[in-house]
Amino acid sequence: MALAIALAGGLAAMAASREDAGPRAGASPQRGALPSPPAPALRIARPRPLPAERHLTRWAPLRRAVVARARPAAGARPVASLERLTPEGTEHPVPVLGRAADRAGRVWLRVGLPVLPNGTTGWIPRRAAGQYVLVRTRLVVDRAALRLTLLRRGKPIFAARVGIGEDRWPTPAGEYLVRNRLHGYDSPMYGPVAFGTSARSPTLTDWPAGGFVGIHGTDRPDLIPGRVSHGCIRMRNADILRLAELMPIGTPVTIR
Amino acid sequence: MSELDPHVLDADGALAEAHAGLSRAQLLGAGLAATGALLALPRRARAAQLSKTDTDVLNYALSLEYLQAAFYTEAERSKAIRGKAGEAAKVVGAVERAHVAAFLDLLGSKAVKRPRFDFQGVTENPRKFLKTAVAFEDLAVAAYKGQAIRIESPAVVSAALGIHTVEARHAAWMRHLYGIKPAVNAFDAPDSKKQVLALVEDTGFVVDSPRVKAKRKPGYTG
Repeated sequence: MALAIALAGGLAAMAASREDAGPRAGASPQRGALPSPPAPALRIARPRPLPAERHLTRWAPLRRAVVARARPAAGARPVASLERLTPEGTEHPVPVLGRAADRAGRVWLRVGLPVLPNGTTGWIPRRAAGQYVLVRTRLVVDRAALRLTLLRRGKPIFAARVGIGEDRWPTPAGEYLVRNRLHGYDSPMYGPVAFGTSARSPTLTDWPAGGFVGIHGTDRPDLIPGRVSHGCIRMRNADILRLAELMPIGTPVTIR
Repeated sequence: MSELDPHVLDADGALAEAHAGLSRAQLLGAGLAATGALLALPRRARAAQLSKTDTDVLNYALSLEYLQAAFYTEAERSKAIRGKAGEAAKVVGAVERAHVAAFLDLLGSKAVKRPRFDFQGVTENPRKFLKTAVAFEDLAVAAYKGQAIRIESPAVVSAALGIHTVEARHAAWMRHLYGIKPAVNAFDAPDSKKQVLALVEDTGFVVDSPRVKAKRKPGYTG
């Protein structure tokens, strides 16, 4: 009973002090009888909304082999068959360009496809793709200037001169994705590091492993800059090593 | 993966960036005079002051906050959760990111790294989103309650209780939106760390990094 009265008195005093906004706070003898609570160990900031980011892109690895379709529906026309792994044996990233739900509520993703003609897109079930990975970088290859520029949040952070495809084996213009990174091989013509992209040579269609365009080092730095390759983007070895430090897998690639 | 693996690296970076911006703003803010002795120490010294038990508890809590923050952030970015649920995702997501930032600030180099998450489309389906949100919030409430008696520092207890009640409000909010009664029990039981991690593992939401690098000779066109 005594406890109940003390509690009631304390609560009434707290209510009164809150209504009065301050000056009387702590004046109640019931409140003063207990020590103040310790200051919390965490400093929790005011919650902030997500910032609007113009340079954010998204990709996801495939969880399984899947047929991409022309529309977000199971019965829609097939556009391409995608394997779970790339020809290099790495997981297969696809750029996520949009999403939609079908009549049954199933989610579909519109993704960029690594097929000819370059720039083809299609729809895959959301369940066929894994985790979303966000990227804030973009690689721009300027074929006229023979220059490659890496942007982060829209700002250039690295640039280098490059070699691109000869006129008969052109490096294809378009929007692509960095799919994987290879290293530790013994092949000087590719330099110390090689990135695979989703771009495909429109001329070397019978090239082993699909004719994918890579970005790699070289054993002929004297040919850079120039139009010297079968379509790949060649860089001096010091430049590809620097790029490898800065560019995450999934970076979108614009070749223009 | 048997539990929230602290060694799985974060390629997203959004949370780390939020943490950097928020914590610096806080550290430079003018209203710090009233904070406790622990907060008055430099960041490295604060982490060093924590006991091993408190560090473990805080890292465990951080792991759950990572999970929640990533879940709501992905839901907001998907733009697939609209209406009242979408608004709740934005509000709760911002709170969970603030929690993550605060834990990272306190733990410093002792903080576990953010695991990778694959929510398997749940963040893009309104009904599944709410069902999972209810589960996550209830889980967080039970997890905080389960660790309360293990915490050694009164300042950490105070912080944990401050977050615990916020998580309980989130739980009630998500339950209401999902169409179930927010508060029917007279007593909420705690969950052990083992129970909580088993439940998280069962979701399959914690995943490894995609394997996109290899030691292999290229077959590109050259």
